[in-house]
Amino acid sequence: MAIGDVLYEAKNISKKYGSVVALDGASFKLHAGEVIGLVGDNGAGKSTLVKILSGAYTPDSGSLFLDGEQRVWTSPREVLDAGVETLYQDSGLAPHLSVSQNVFLGREKVVKGFFGKLGFVAKKQMEHEAHRDLEEVGIAVPASDRSVSQLSGGQRQAVAIGRAVAWARKVIILDEPTNHLGARQASEVLQIVKNAKKKGLGVIFISHTLPHVLEVTDRIIVLRLGKIVKIAPTSEFTGDTLVGTITGTIQTLKLEGD
Amino acid sequence: MTNNTQTQSKPSASQRWQKLAAIGSNQSTILVAVLVILVVVFTILEPKFLSAQTASNVLTDWGSVVLIAVGMTYVIISGGIDLSVGASIALSGVVAAWFMVNVLGLSPKATGGEVVYGLVLGTIVAILTGLAVGLVNGFLITKAKIPPFIATLATMGAGLGFAVIISSGMPIGGPNDFTVISAMNPSTNPLSWAVLAVIVVIVIAGLFLHKAKFGIYTYAIGSNTFAARGAGINVERHLVAIYALSGALAGLTGMYVYMRLGAGSPSSGTGRELDAIAAVVIGGASLMGGIGRVWGTVLGTLILFTVQSGLIMAGVAPDWKKVVVAILIAVAVAAQTFNKKGR
Ligand SMILES: Nc1ncnc2c1ncn2[C@@H]1O[C@H](COP(=O)(O)OP(=O)(O)O)[C@@H](O)[C@H]1O
Ligand SMILES: [Mg+2]
Repeated sequence: MAIGDVLYEAKNISKKYGSVVALDGASFKLHAGEVIGLVGDNGAGKSTLVKILSGAYTPDSGSLFLDGEQRVWTSPREVLDAGVETLYQDSGLAPHLSVSQNVFLGREKVVKGFFGKLGFVAKKQMEHEAHRDLEEVGIAVPASDRSVSQLSGGQRQAVAIGRAVAWARKVIILDEPTNHLGARQASEVLQIVKNAKKKGLGVIFISHTLPHVLEVTDRIIVLRLGKIVKIAPTSEFTGDTLVGTITGTIQTLKLEGD
Repeated sequence: MTNNTQTQSKPSASQRWQKLAAIGSNQSTILVAVLVILVVVFTILEPKFLSAQTASNVLTDWGSVVLIAVGMTYVIISGGIDLSVGASIALSGVVAAWFMVNVLGLSPKATGGEVVYGLVLGTIVAILTGLAVGLVNGFLITKAKIPPFIATLATMGAGLGFAVIISSGMPIGGPNDFTVISAMNPSTNPLSWAVLAVIVVIVIAGLFLHKAKFGIYTYAIGSNTFAARGAGINVERHLVAIYALSGALAGLTGMYVYMRLGAGSPSSGTGRELDAIAAVVIGGASLMGGIGRVWGTVLGTLILFTVQSGLIMAGVAPDWKKVVVAILIAVAVAAQTFNKKGR
């Protein structure tokens, strides 16, 4: 992929939960080397869109294209295998597993030979590599054999982000990654997003902390009650106009095509 | 790696204390201590308690529950429950007996090679019977989306019903070799071949739970199902496999119990599911999922039957067993809560 190519595209995605319309005809394109901010009030449909993009939920209608090819995901596994990593809001890790077991969950390294075929895992190797990968991403790493339940909220979040970034080959979707984080950790996360962008990955960044969104994104998508009400380059927003667009006090006139 | 700076020098007093505290909070150390205390107390109450004969009785009873308790460990770690295992013991014992008698044409008087042949095929039939019940559970839970408690309650009822229908409510006597299930030497060696086989199965099940992907996925599902699914684990398929395993172990136990009785009896599994759940909880597992160890379950089951045997030998009314087990469960759960708060 070259910088600027369309990596991941959503066309007319809709999703209802019973009678609640969570998403209503959402369309956008994510380019290689681009960071898109996805903002909107609580309940606007951001996490629903994330779960559809990651294969956790199926949309009621609409289509998804990865590298220009239409994809109908039937499981998160396929999406992961296609190079798209997701940090889910608040529920990304298994607390009873260790850091390295979480980093490698679903992609365990097995030992060589017969026992490997039976699924016996190379524990030490995974602990070593998990530690190395997290460090490479720029995460202050807790010992990788520690149980995640023993980590602080910030450390958990760091591990979850590290896992997503370490595995991503095309797209990273981060649903409120700076939640639970202190100022310093949050700025570390922003740095991680910038590094991913430099590597040519496409990033979808969701946050309620608008200064973070303004700092790190190239374009911003504003969702209101399941509808995309505005897509525009970040440079066109100030803090105030962004808040106004999210809450609806600023009328949105037109959508930019892509 | 960072936190791995182990020093060769002598540990300081506080380090030694910390180590001691760590051992004290280690679940399996506590369980072993409880077991030792029980043995000491029962020996004081009844000196004959400390004998190979008692050990043999306890181990033989242990063998008739520990496998379903190990299966239950998987199920409980995954966040579920399997109430059908007691019924599966009865059903698979009855089906295996019926098979050996009516299909293979073997009577309780059969001897030699015929018995070996019958018992081997009977074991396979028993395992397949339990496996079938487990697969039905897996199907009800993952496809019909029935909660495990209800789904396995239903198969428990159906399994018992079938066991009674096939056996007309009476034990079906069949071929047997009691030496397989008896102590190798009643006065010196309490182990039996059947108990040794049970131990081998436990070791394999333990390795798969604690060293292999299968186990990691089991913990992941019980710990955070959404995260497991998000990591690409086929949660439904894995749950079916877990209930199938639990069922197959119940089937194997059905054969074990058959060999104790020399018959397949429709009442041979009654209440065993509760023994298994008690053993797993005493062993330190959490009914909320995500926590549990095979070793803990092994010790939990041993504690259960040591209590039972000890109370009987001490001449205490058998109903006290229920009280003691209830106390052990309460203590185990309280210890869990205490541990969580301590962190
Ligand atoms: N699993 C669910 N079941 C039912 N309703 C849901 C579910 N998830 C989200 N919703 C509803 O869908 C709407 C969008 O939610 P969500 O995508 O979580 O928004 P956001 O992430 O922007 O806060 C909300 O009205 C929410 O209550
Ligand atoms: Mg959300």
